[in-house]
Amino acid sequence: MEKNLTPRYLVIGLILTWAVYTLLPTWQYQKMTENQKEDLRASGKLERIETKIIKQGLDLKGGMYIVLEADIPTLLTNLATLDDERLKVIINKAEEESKNPDVDFFAALENNVKSDGIKLSRYYHEYGSSLDEILLSLRDEADDAINRVLEILQNRVDQFGVSEPTIQKQGKHRIVVELAGIQDSDRARSLLQSTALLEFYLVKNISVTNEMIAQLDNLLKGDKDLTKVELPKKLEEKKSDDEATSVSELFGESETTNTSTADNNEDDSQLSLNAPFSSLLTALPGDIGLEDKNLYRFKKLLSLPEVATRLKNSNGQFLLSQNSQGMTDNSIEKIYKLYYVEDKPELTGGIVDEARADLGSLGSGSAGQAVVSLSMNSDGSRTWSRVTGANIGERIAIVLDKKVHMAPSIREKIPSGRTQIEGFANISEAKDLAIILRAGALPAPVNIIEERIVGPSLGADSIKQGTQAVTLGLILVLIFILIYYKFSGLIASFALIWNILIVLAVLASLQATLTLPGIAGLILTVGMSIDANVIIFERIREELRRGKTPKTAIDSGYSRAITTIVDANVTTLIASLVLYQFGTGPIKGFATVLFWGILISMFTAVFITRTIFNTYVSRKSITSLSI
Amino acid sequence: MRIIKKTNIDFLGRTNITTLLSFFLISAGIISMVLNGGPKLSIDFKGGTLVAVNYTEPVNIEKIRSELSSVLIDGQSFNFSNAEIKYFGDESNIAVRIASMEEEPEQFSKKFSDKLASIFPNLVPVDKNNFILSVEKVGPKVGAELSSDALMAILSALFLILIYVSVRFEFKYAVGAIAALVHDVLITIGVFSILGYEISLAVIAAFLTIVGYSLNDTIVIFDRVRENVKTTKNAPMKNIINQSINESLSRTIITSLTTFFVVLILFLFGGEVIHTFSFAMIVGVLIGTYSSIFVASPLVIKMDSK
Repeated sequence: MEKNLTPRYLVIGLILTWAVYTLLPTWQYQKMTENQKEDLRASGKLERIETKIIKQGLDLKGGMYIVLEADIPTLLTNLATLDDERLKVIINKAEEESKNPDVDFFAALENNVKSDGIKLSRYYHEYGSSLDEILLSLRDEADDAINRVLEILQNRVDQFGVSEPTIQKQGKHRIVVELAGIQDSDRARSLLQSTALLEFYLVKNISVTNEMIAQLDNLLKGDKDLTKVELPKKLEEKKSDDEATSVSELFGESETTNTSTADNNEDDSQLSLNAPFSSLLTALPGDIGLEDKNLYRFKKLLSLPEVATRLKNSNGQFLLSQNSQGMTDNSIEKIYKLYYVEDKPELTGGIVDEARADLGSLGSGSAGQAVVSLSMNSDGSRTWSRVTGANIGERIAIVLDKKVHMAPSIREKIPSGRTQIEGFANISEAKDLAIILRAGALPAPVNIIEERIVGPSLGADSIKQGTQAVTLGLILVLIFILIYYKFSGLIASFALIWNILIVLAVLASLQATLTLPGIAGLILTVGMSIDANVIIFERIREELRRGKTPKTAIDSGYSRAITTIVDANVTTLIASLVLYQFGTGPIKGFATVLFWGILISMFTAVFITRTIFNTYVSRKSITSLSI
Repeated sequence: MRIIKKTNIDFLGRTNITTLLSFFLISAGIISMVLNGGPKLSIDFKGGTLVAVNYTEPVNIEKIRSELSSVLIDGQSFNFSNAEIKYFGDESNIAVRIASMEEEPEQFSKKFSDKLASIFPNLVPVDKNNFILSVEKVGPKVGAELSSDALMAILSALFLILIYVSVRFEFKYAVGAIAALVHDVLITIGVFSILGYEISLAVIAAFLTIVGYSLNDTIVIFDRVRENVKTTKNAPMKNIINQSINESLSRTIITSLTTFFVVLILFLFGGEVIHTFSFAMIVGVLIGTYSSIFVASPLVIKMDSK
């Protein structure tokens, strides 16, 4: 081939230069010490460099991947102006059906509404009159809600202070959050999942509370349903050892409303039979406690329909404190505080103007403890002033996401709209609450439906082992190819190394993420790329065996091999495209590397090696080829 | 250097034995799957929680299992002794897999890893953040979606490849190629089932790569066949294909060996996270090479004689 080779040199030169240039920042970044990074971060240059380097996936860097789904059924229940069982049943049914991935929630809802004959306009008259109209507006409402959730979460995460967080919508009602290098996954999780619904409830006074407890005891006495929530045997044994749980103490202190529990020596199972509800409770000075070992049974009891109806008719509800605390410092049993409060809040979120985490000021009851100071907007201040003024001496529960943070007594009317929330384990918990309150409440609750956390040590191991495997694999292949094809093997090795470098350069410039499967993809690329050279070289050997000169052997070897290589590679490209389409996170990373690796191998293993061979054979009249 | 001299092996003369072998491998896998109630799926598809933790010294799994037989979380008692508990990498790392629960306590994965820490309190790393290696939690709904996605991915890949091969070659080649791919994937799934390895998202990725790789192999042979059909007219198809396999044999062996060693290294040194992925690839490379010669090619002859 007497073609002019200059254009080929130019193309190759340009691409190789581009690859080196693109990889330079990554290389520099890898060499930097932590101190140098800090210096650059201070001057703001680090961010610019970070956009140019190869990003590492969460599986390598360590971090957290969470998929949240907006709870649309709850949103619809909240939006309804009329709160009744019939609608709830229909919504629950639609929710159940939409657990099948092929069923859309709204379509299921429509079917259920039609088959039930319920008139949605009774519940959603603000959203239109006909069924279609209402469903359409409700759909819009749901879409709008998820967008607001996205915005609020963005806001929360920004203030949380993670580098390069990604928060994106996936599908219609889902949000994917990726937080790299996060250490405290529990904190991050609660920051994301909190609905941040702040409510202020009046706490019912002690005699009303005790009466309700007594009523529930009577209601549940001898109830056969209780067998369903009976504690496992082992726990019962443990419980009977625990003499401290004396219910009569609780009632002895306040009022003698329940005689059946008075006998201290009564057998414990007998006790729970006669006083199924109050036997779960513990007396605390000034409060009612619930040991955490009884939590499950307590929740079960509250969810019984007759209990729910009784509470509803009395306009009350039981709420638990945010944290459980040990009675003394070294006690193992943790106790929640239990509050019986009004069922309608006096004040709800959306009234918070400003929220700040602080340490309680000297002289106040919370000196040195973490507190969150709130200031309310004018609406909120007005209501707050009225509520506090009218209920001096009563207790008011400050409730976030249905958990009581504190329930102070109202000492005086608070006109300014300022208030303080206490009851945090540490300052970071208070800080997180302030962030959440500032960012605002979510319009719909969100559920975590998928969660993947990679600890920092596993990530570091993966990088180490991955790099090791790639290097070892590469070296072995290079050695083999050098021995087997000698000089031609050298050319192929040169091409192979460039193949890897160019793939990495493409990843850097595409801002693609390198994951552990991505590293595996790199190693597969090595295998597939060398295949192209094997096909060509075997063909050239065949041609040489037929007695052709090196030059013609190379020419026909390449031209025959090229169709094979293209056909074989296109099919793998198809597989990688499909993978990219369907995969998430790490798998996408694998597909990206495989795709580019194969595409580029056709350039390096065919185009570059060909050019080198052509240069070699055109220089002198060679009679033999080292292959 | 040249390992494979010119050969003239009658590959297609032994189709009876190889058909029997393929049949045996596939049915062994299917029987194993039937006995186990389907392939063993990871939490990616079934939903559930996987917690992997790292103790500072090797620990005894049985001790953990007995401790997990009664776990109290928020007053709810659980028996996790039937959960899958295994070493993760070396014997100081433990992975526990728990199926999806109806009523899962709040912050379950945290409370569960706290429980794991309390079993060997002296073996927890000083920096507690290093105790948890990884946590994966997949809700049942997501699991169902990922399953149908994965199935769609494999089917659409096969379909697209069928189209491509039909366009570039003839339909009969496409049928042979696809049959070989189905053969490979079935056997790999079967091997996973027999060994009790679970199929995760990463393994599905490996399946698709196997599909690509095996096809790569098949196409190299078919390409030779296409070329030889043009040059040697009137020869029986069987001879042409046999000749083509022989001619491309040295390439097939060299490439298979290099790829095999590369994935073997990945399996041995790539770390626990991609262990099953690289295992699937090892099986796939072996089966893929075999099927190009002994499944795809004989089928083309069968289709041709019709």
